[in-house]
Order: sequence, then C-alpha cells, then structure tokens
Amino acid sequence: MSRVNVLLSMAVSLLPLTALVFLFRESVGADVWGLMQEETWRASLGVTLYVTLVSTLCSLVLGTLAARAVYVNGQNWLLRWLKWPLFVPHIASAYLFYLLFADGFPFGLIEANERHHLVVIVTYIWKEVPFVFLMVLGTYAQLNTGYRDMAKTLQLNPWRQFSVAEWPFLVKPLLDSFWILVAFISFAYEVPALLGVTFPKLLGVLAYDRLTTGLFLNESEAYAVALIWTLFLFGGVLLTYVLTAKHRRRIEKGVRR
Amino acid sequence: MRRLVILVLILLPFSGLFTSVPTFFFDDAIINTVIQVLVIVSLNVWLSIGTAWWLLFTETKWRTFIEWFLFLPLFIPALAGTFGMYIALARFGLVGTTIGVLIVLLVVTLPYSIRLAYNAMSVIGRPMFEQALFMPPLRRYRDVLFPLLSGTIQTIALMSTVIVLGQFVLIQLIGAGLISTVTTRLYQVYAGNDVALALQHTWLLILIPAVLYIAIGWGIRLGVKIVKGRL
Amino acid sequence: MGLQLTNIQKRFTKRDVLTGVDLFVKQGEIHALVGTSGSGKSTLLRIIAGLESPDTGTVTWDERSLLGVPAHERKITMLSQTPLLFPHLTVGENVVLATPDRSREQAEKWLTRVRLAGRYDDEVHTLSGGEGQRASFARALAADPRLILLDEPFTNLDPDLKYELQQLTRDIVSELDLTTLLVTHDREEAMLVADRVTLLENGTIHTTGTPRELSETEPTFGDFIRLEGELYPLTRIGVFSEGAGERVELVRHLVKFGVRLGEYRRPNGEYVILPSDVSQQIGQSYPLRKK
Repeated sequence: MSRVNVLLSMAVSLLPLTALVFLFRESVGADVWGLMQEETWRASLGVTLYVTLVSTLCSLVLGTLAARAVYVNGQNWLLRWLKWPLFVPHIASAYLFYLLFADGFPFGLIEANERHHLVVIVTYIWKEVPFVFLMVLGTYAQLNTGYRDMAKTLQLNPWRQFSVAEWPFLVKPLLDSFWILVAFISFAYEVPALLGVTFPKLLGVLAYDRLTTGLFLNESEAYAVALIWTLFLFGGVLLTYVLTAKHRRRIEKGVRR
Repeated sequence: MRRLVILVLILLPFSGLFTSVPTFFFDDAIINTVIQVLVIVSLNVWLSIGTAWWLLFTETKWRTFIEWFLFLPLFIPALAGTFGMYIALARFGLVGTTIGVLIVLLVVTLPYSIRLAYNAMSVIGRPMFEQALFMPPLRRYRDVLFPLLSGTIQTIALMSTVIVLGQFVLIQLIGAGLISTVTTRLYQVYAGNDVALALQHTWLLILIPAVLYIAIGWGIRLGVKIVKGRL
Repeated sequence: MGLQLTNIQKRFTKRDVLTGVDLFVKQGEIHALVGTSGSGKSTLLRIIAGLESPDTGTVTWDERSLLGVPAHERKITMLSQTPLLFPHLTVGENVVLATPDRSREQAEKWLTRVRLAGRYDDEVHTLSGGEGQRASFARALAADPRLILLDEPFTNLDPDLKYELQQLTRDIVSELDLTTLLVTHDREEAMLVADRVTLLENGTIHTTGTPRELSETEPTFGDFIRLEGELYPLTRIGVFSEGAGERVELVRHLVKFGVRLGEYRRPNGEYVILPSDVSQQIGQSYPLRKK
C-alpha cells in the first residue's frame, strides 16, 4: 500500500524536476550575458536578495525564539495564537497588509508600496514565522531535555548551554527552513506584485511581467532567469548540505532521545 | 505586557478585514476553488502519510536518494517550477484544462505535506509505529496511523489548502486564464479598485481553510471515537 | 561542612512528591539516597542541582544558601542514567567543554583516569554503554565540582559492567575526596558504594546510617552477608566445589523458581541459602567466598 504512495509521490516530484529540463530547452538562445548587463535585472537581483535574506533570517530567528519559548519557558499560549497566520494564504495576507498600510501606518509613517519593500518584508515575516515555528517545534519536541540539564550542571554559561545543547540539533531544521523560504520568497509573484514598487521590481514579478507582456515575445529571457536562479539555489543547497554533512551524521548517530 | 504586544502583532493585520462591509455573491470561481481544495487535500493526506511511512520503515540503499528526490522540489524557486511545468504541460495539451491545474497544484503542495508527515512521525517515534507493522495495511491506517496522526492530518490539510489558495500565477498560467478561482478573482477586483469586492474574496480565502480545518477536526474526533469504540 | 537540606517540600500538580526532607551530606563522603521509583529521589537531586526549585525549605552548602544560585554557578555536576554526551562533539571535546580552562591536556588526563585513554578523537556513537557512562563521568569530574550527583548511573548496564563501574566510581571519588550523592533504587548498590545510606520513602526520610548499621537495624535491607569482617551482597558470594575460603556445610538441597539452591550452615551457626551445584553432597563442607 505504502509502496503505491511512494511511486505516485515520486511521479509527482518528477514533474517539477523534468520541468527544469524543459526550462533549459526553452531558454536556449537567450542572451545570458546581455541579461546580466541589463540594469533592470541587476537592480531586481539586488533588491530580491535584500528582501529575501532579511525576511528569511528574521523569520528564522523569531520562529526559533517562539518554539524555544514554548519548550524551554513553557509559554504554551503561543501554540494557539501563532496558528492564526497559517490560515491566511500569502495573497490574502498581502491584501490585509495592503489595507493596514494603505493610509500610512502607524501615523502615516509607512505607505503600503513603500520603496524599501518594508511592507513586503513584514508580510513575509508575519506569514513565515509560524512556518519556521512548526519546523523547529518538532525538533524541540524530540530533543532530550537531559542535554540542556547536562549543559547546566556542567557549569556552562547560558550562551554555551544553548550552543552545545540546542543549536547543534537546530542546524538541520533551520537549514531546511532557510532554503525552503529562500526558494519561495526570492522568486514569487503574489506578495510583491501587490505590495512592491514599479522599480526595482522583485525578480519574480519582473520575470512574470516579461513573460506575459508583449505576447510572450521575450519568453526565453524569463525562462533563462528562472533557470539560472534555480541552479544558483541548488548550488547553495548542495554546498550547505555538504558542509554540514559530518555534523548532521554525528547527530543522527549519537543522539539519545 | 509582552504577551499583549505579541498578540497585537499577530492579530493586527486581521483588522483590515473589518474596514468595510464585504459584499456577498456566489459564482463559479468559488465552486472551482472548493473543488480544487477538496481534491488536493485528499490526495495530499493519502499520499503523504503513506510515503512518510515508507520513508521511515523501508531499509533500502535507495532511501537517501528517494528522500532527496521527494524533497528537492521544495528548493525549486516557486515561479521557476511553474514556468517549467507550463512549458512541459503545454507539450501534452494540458494547459487550460482542469486536470492540468490539479496536477500542478498537487506538485506544489505534496512535498510540504510529506515533510510534515515525516516530521510528525519521527516525533511520535519509530517504536510506537513498529507496533503496527504486523497489521494489514487497512487496519494500520484506520486503527493506528489515523488516531496517532490526527493532528498532523489536520495540519497537512490546512497547509495544502492555504498553498492552493495562494496560487495566482500558477493558475493564471497553467489554466491559461480560462479557469477562475477566488484567488485569480481577487487580483482582478483588486486592480479594479473595488475594496468591498476585494474584501469579500479575502474573507473567502481565510474562511475556506478555517472552515475546512474545523470540519476536519470534528470529523477526526468523531472518527477516533468510532475506532476506539470498535477496539 | 557540606550539603544541608532542610524541610524540602515539592508538589507537582495534584501530587506531593517531597513532604519535608532533611538531609545532610558531609563533605568528602559518598552518600547514597535509596528509594523506590516515585519516591521523589530524582526530584530531590534536581532540586540540589538547581534544575528545579523547592516549594519550601532550604538548600545550603557550608551554611550558604544555594537557592537562587543558577545551576551553572553551583559547582554541582550530575551523571544520569544515559551518558548524554553531546553527539556533535568527539569524546574528548565533550570533556574539554567542561574543563574550566578548556584544556585538552586536562581532558586527556580525565579520560585516562576513567580508562578511556586514546579515545579522545572517537565519535560518541562508537562508545559502548559502559564506555559512554565513563566518558560522561570524566566530563562531570572535569568541571571541577564540589559535589557530584549520581542519578542511577549504573542502571542501564549489565551486571558485570555495573560492578566494575561501581568500583571505579568509588575509587575515583574517594581518591579525589569528592563529596558524592548517589541516588538509586538498588540497595545492594548503595551498600557497595556508599559511606552512608539514607532511605527515602513516600517523599520523606525514613532512616540514615552506615551500610553496616542499616544491615542490622533494617530487616528489609537486602540480603547481605559479613565475610571476614566485610559486608557483601549475597549475589556477589558463591559456594564453590573446591578452593580456599570459609567452609560451610550443605544441610539440604532445594529448588525455588526452578533454580537449584542449597541451605548451608556457617561456622558461626548462621544459615545461608545460595545457588548450589548438583555435585555437592549433604553433610560435606565447601568453600564460601567472593565470586
């Protein structure tokens, strides 16, 4: 029974992976060098990196702090309330934030389509903190509290307690979450399309606009950008997983539940 | 005091929902959306739990490879996958069809669901599930997996619903603009500057997952009661 | 001088765990706290370590209160049932972590002391259960504690390993003159390792004394036998077919729970029941000695 599920799941996973091959075929002929020179794409890449990294890192930190607050400090009320943003699709949260900041909030300070993409970042953080929270919560649930007690009685200061009894176990879920969020935020349309500005646009918005305006005349350009970005992220994923392989293997083999 | 600040930060964005009175009307887009959600949620729950089970219990040298293969789509940038699948499905004449849209929606939700199921199962722990290995598959699902994973099933349903409802570009491209959902409609009314109508769609986008979540919660509690009664 | 607990009470939701415990652990002694599971002994240990705080009562070291002092400033280390070595570090790095000046030399010295010389660079998962517990012991010692708490550290080991580790632990803490509080449900272990033993029952102290005193006053205090002036648990004693030792006479054979036993009379007139051998004959004398 479960073998059928795996085969179907693999078939489903095969589609996006083969889609990359199609993406490659369609982007053949795009002037990649020319793309890299073009000011619009370059500006877009810069602002995309900034928005992606700021929102991702903030979400990771806040999500971890929240999970820690539940498991280490017993703040169980967070379990109930942090669920709320999970019920809101990204697109709806973008609209909610648009409404919230429409007349400048607070006191007319920040406009919805503010040029530093602050509202985009805040929207992503609001949406992704509960996601990171869930990912890290699982790890804390599994983590033997004996490690933390052990670190305390070994006379380590609170910072070192965290760095030996919690951080090593958080590396894997945080790494997973980091790349999932980066892949999602760095090349999406819905949120920045609603809350972003006309220049520089985020990568996803620019690519989609280039693809759909002008009767798909520039489509290979959009495909090439999509492909390059994918390969770039895959490179990052591969690199970080190789670099942490030894660490993760040690944890997997030596951990006591 | 700190708790109050955090609660305000979490709940404040919802205030937008009450800025004006939403209008109410009913059309195809809503029906399309609900059908998509129901199909995708069922497939996700069924496939992800079976797959996670297999990943945890099958000893094979292919395991690592299959794990990577199943989770790799999570690391494909959102739109890049959509673009690629658009080209691929166009070859098979699936662009602009309901089935094409459903396939792609399954693709973008399933890796998350497998991940959730996998995490939940490893938290509950292998020994607990090993007790069920001797059972025939159907009883294994009904008497062990279902009660133990009821919370996870609810979360999987919620996450996949919310992801489905968040797709604008994907449905626009793969549906070739022919298939309208609450999400695509929201963009159109937003562009048309009709706040009341946009708000109605936003309400729908939040209420659909909420209602489904609560309904599944009820269903699960009832189901678990029945299973317990029978044992 | 030492650790003093006065009227410690602790209540978890709807259950009193400790109902007024007074305990004194003299500096330099090995003190065992014996109780069944659920008697509150682990909670008491966690209170001493600073991992839990009591509802009422005081914890002092040399008359200075430890309440309010965080666990990592109490200079009290702890060994638990599982080694809990940090899996991302090597065996040696685990020990270095605890040394006050993070010195590799110190760590290697401690590893040698627990008979793990040369295992510095090994990964944690390559250690056996007993080795893991020894490494964990080295780490707890490396932190330079004034009191070491042993929370049933020998429970998960098989009998021979357990005995060996009990001896090693006793030797090392005696040599270091380190104040030690051992918590265990195993009375035999308490008698073997400790200088003084306290019985904890239903959240309060039942009695305290040296192993010898307790073996005389406590009718339920395990099966111990005095042999050549030393106290041994019966499980460590055997009647052999030949060799040296106190001679005991076989009075009769009996079988209990499928085990062949013999009732033997000692020279002092005492009777003991111990596993016997088919070849042994009634009326004959055999040597009784340590296994």
